[in-house]
Amino acid sequence: MKCKRRITAVAVALLLLCGSAWAQDTIKIGVVGPRTGPAAATGAAFEEGIKLATEYVNSKGGVMGKKLEIVFEDTAGAPDKAASGFERLVTRDKVVMVLGESHSSSALAEIEVANRMKIPFIVVEAWADEITSKNYRYVFRAGPSNSGVVSKTIAKWVVHEKFKRAFIVAENTDWGIGIGKLTENAIAKAGVPSESMITERNSQDHYVELTKIKAFKPDVVLAYIYGVGLHYFVAQAGETGVSSKAVTLDGAGPPSLWPDYWKNVGDYGDLECFVSSMHEKVELTDLAKHYREAYTKAFGKAPTDYKSRSIFDGILIAADAVSRAKATDADKLVDALEKTNLKTTRGMAKFSLEKGGAEYHQWEPPMLVIQWQNKQQVVLYPPEAATGKIKH
Amino acid sequence: MLAISVMNGLVIGVIYALAALGVSLVVGIMNVVNFAHGELYILAGYFSYLFASALGMNFIAAMLIALALVFLLGIVIEVTLIRPTYGNDMYSLILTFILSIVLQNAYLLIFGPYPNKPPLWVKGAADVFGLFLYGNQRLAALIAGVAVIAVVFFIIKKTWFGRIIRATSQDREMAELNGVDTTRLNMLSFGLGCALAAAAGVILTPVFPVTPTAGVPVALTAFVVVVLGGMGSMWGCVVGGLLLGLVENLGAAFISTGYKNVFGFIILILVLLIRPSGLFGRAKV
Amino acid sequence: MTGKKALLISMLILAGMCVLPLGLGIYPQHVLIVSLFYVMMASSWNLLAGYTGQVSFGHAAMAGIGAYASGILAAKAGINPWIGICLGTVLAALIGLGLGALCLKMGGIYLSLTTLAFSQILHIIIVNEYDLTRGTMGLQVPSLMAEYDKLVYYYIMLAAAVLILSILYRMIHSNLGLNFRAVQNDELAAKSLGVRVLQVRVLAFTVASAMAGFAGGLYGHYLLLVTPEIPSLDLQFYVLAMTVIGGMGSFIGPIIGAFALNILAEKIRDYGEYHVLVFGLIALVVARFAPNGLLGLWKKFKPIKPIQAVKQKAFPTP
Repeated sequence: MKCKRRITAVAVALLLLCGSAWAQDTIKIGVVGPRTGPAAATGAAFEEGIKLATEYVNSKGGVMGKKLEIVFEDTAGAPDKAASGFERLVTRDKVVMVLGESHSSSALAEIEVANRMKIPFIVVEAWADEITSKNYRYVFRAGPSNSGVVSKTIAKWVVHEKFKRAFIVAENTDWGIGIGKLTENAIAKAGVPSESMITERNSQDHYVELTKIKAFKPDVVLAYIYGVGLHYFVAQAGETGVSSKAVTLDGAGPPSLWPDYWKNVGDYGDLECFVSSMHEKVELTDLAKHYREAYTKAFGKAPTDYKSRSIFDGILIAADAVSRAKATDADKLVDALEKTNLKTTRGMAKFSLEKGGAEYHQWEPPMLVIQWQNKQQVVLYPPEAATGKIKH
Repeated sequence: MLAISVMNGLVIGVIYALAALGVSLVVGIMNVVNFAHGELYILAGYFSYLFASALGMNFIAAMLIALALVFLLGIVIEVTLIRPTYGNDMYSLILTFILSIVLQNAYLLIFGPYPNKPPLWVKGAADVFGLFLYGNQRLAALIAGVAVIAVVFFIIKKTWFGRIIRATSQDREMAELNGVDTTRLNMLSFGLGCALAAAAGVILTPVFPVTPTAGVPVALTAFVVVVLGGMGSMWGCVVGGLLLGLVENLGAAFISTGYKNVFGFIILILVLLIRPSGLFGRAKV
Repeated sequence: MTGKKALLISMLILAGMCVLPLGLGIYPQHVLIVSLFYVMMASSWNLLAGYTGQVSFGHAAMAGIGAYASGILAAKAGINPWIGICLGTVLAALIGLGLGALCLKMGGIYLSLTTLAFSQILHIIIVNEYDLTRGTMGLQVPSLMAEYDKLVYYYIMLAAAVLILSILYRMIHSNLGLNFRAVQNDELAAKSLGVRVLQVRVLAFTVASAMAGFAGGLYGHYLLLVTPEIPSLDLQFYVLAMTVIGGMGSFIGPIIGAFALNILAEKIRDYGEYHVLVFGLIALVVARFAPNGLLGLWKKFKPIKPIQAVKQKAFPTP
């Protein structure tokens, strides 16, 4: 009887061991991003970056001797789906860390879940200052912030090109409203008069708004619309004659790089400017070259949407932190992330630890302003990286 | 600002009128409101995109094929889903509402969430009376919309088929007694209603590209136009459509852009409060 | 089934529901909580569509009213969420009363169109007044308890669902319920027998709206994030599909439909965002070929009396 019981106990223990060994065969990291919704193309870009990053990390031996596995959860660009998706990654898929996101409003919902469930979360492409200025212990950002992009790139570019009157159009989201306000203040300080307007991000008809813009006679229009809404805006700016008098800047970037951009805007898309962190002639590290080659090999085309490379960097940072922490415990991961000093495609990643503002747990990679000239990307700003001059 | 808003209002108003004519026809004859009207509008847009952009057909041929296919689909819907519900309008409401959600999600699966756009008929923009620049495609849509409405009016008012339709919508039993095959008439008019949605779709989608859910506001506005004009009234559709297009665009220009679509719904509620039979409806509830 | 037997069975089910989440992880608990929200929504919508023949497309909007009223009061004015939920319920009831009175005279298609228009107006207002509602960005609202706990939320939702279901049960099995059915079955006959058709309809609309507002308020404070997805046509479709598939016009149908579809949605989600399409197709087939839902199908093969009995009694009662 005793013997039998012991055998059972051993068998159960073995089974449990096997079970847990199987369960921990891989290290799981979650990615959140919009695979559907108005910026679904960002989800596609994320998937490309995820594929390349997983291959890269696993070819270098994985993390803690195990393979890295990424679980992608669609947020549809909707904050409610983002929050529940984040929770699902943690409770159902049991990921040790989450990264990604490219909608600020979704990210702001997700950081609350991350903070509540004590799960490290690296925001990659959601720019609202509030994401880091809440100073949550578990929240990091390895990517642009609204105030960083405005003060280091957009406002300086407006001054650099000697624009005289600016019109700011911002979508009604945390990102749009936030970056619109910051831009208004920054260029007012530089002495450039401006007017601004809030628009609906899914709106298909901008004729009325463009008529108002035209009446202001700006020489630059700063458009903060993320998603296909930007395509309508650019096409109709051409039709109503606004873009023949003013340069338009896509203040997010990716919509101008999506495959259907030219299909939707036609000839009116030329001479449009946009923000980006990637250009073939401005590669900052050898890892960036590796990325370009690996991307071209895997997908048979050159990388365009810079957000695929941002998620690549994010995964590298996460994998590096897990490897150094040698644990999947949340607090140890946060400690490791705070000590990050890693070479990525956009330079050395390092999180600031200065509390109080949006700099906390923030790493701000450099951004470029690029213009479409005959369907070729020409870097305009910063001057040290410029490959050409602006055309009107 | 005023001039361009009036122009926008006319273009959109004509499309609203066209979409509403389809709803009105079906309501008049069958007392059925087709909640999937907007999804058929979108389907026509997808078809004309598919044939013209992806298969490289001539855009007029692509539009005509799209129209014919949606007409056939309308007949299929009538036979399989609507016919068993006669006499129970609640049942057809539920069925067509479910159908609209099914179609939206089917589009999402097949065509993806991105907007798709059939090729422009004409490029560039024109100077209208020296007042403002206006997209040529929008002007073309206005002309095409007016032409299709004229054809519909001719069919209903002047032809033998039109006479049957008018007779049936006035008194169904009387028409049946006079030998009208109302089952077949239902089928044809439902198909025709869908084809009118499709006509609006092929005309407007080069201006406003199709996405899986872009049909919802169009259908809702068409319903508002039908109630505003009076259920079953053709002139009501035209006047109501233009009125709604103008109110929306003037409201957007001078009150608030964000509330553009609310103005129509407020009109709907006002009409229901003051004159439920609509502008041109017979005062009968 | 006699009343006693039914009571015993529902007590047993309730006891089962009380111990059910204890052995489960956080994720299944979440699925159950959301299911209970849908039970409340589908059952109260069923009071309209299934019992009084009013197909409202504004039921999700009523949940949105409850969620936003309570959410805004709590987030902007610091009012206790429980008080906010009560106020939201009252607000939804008042709006339901107004809307009901506005369009019930026209009935039928007009009611459906007006409720649809109402839900669109509400949606547009929420999206545009982002200073107050935070629009599509979503309004963050406080939790119902100091220390966020799924299990406590489960019991709150369970208690709320039991409350709503028992009110509905009593209404349906009272004189009022007979009037409801009378109104649905034959308006003219009911009128001639002295049933005040309009009042009965408006009452049902008000009660159902209040219930949706209550459920929406609780749901918002569970999600901690109120977005325009609550008063959306998508959520309205879920509620409709759950009721139609479960069995419209039966008491148990929507309850079964809500659990079945919500759990199914979570399963399908593993393969991508196809669940809405799958629901739609199932709902279309069920609505077309089995208008009484799955419950009706089951009853067809295993006939049970009560519903027919109620129907027969409906007419003679004034």
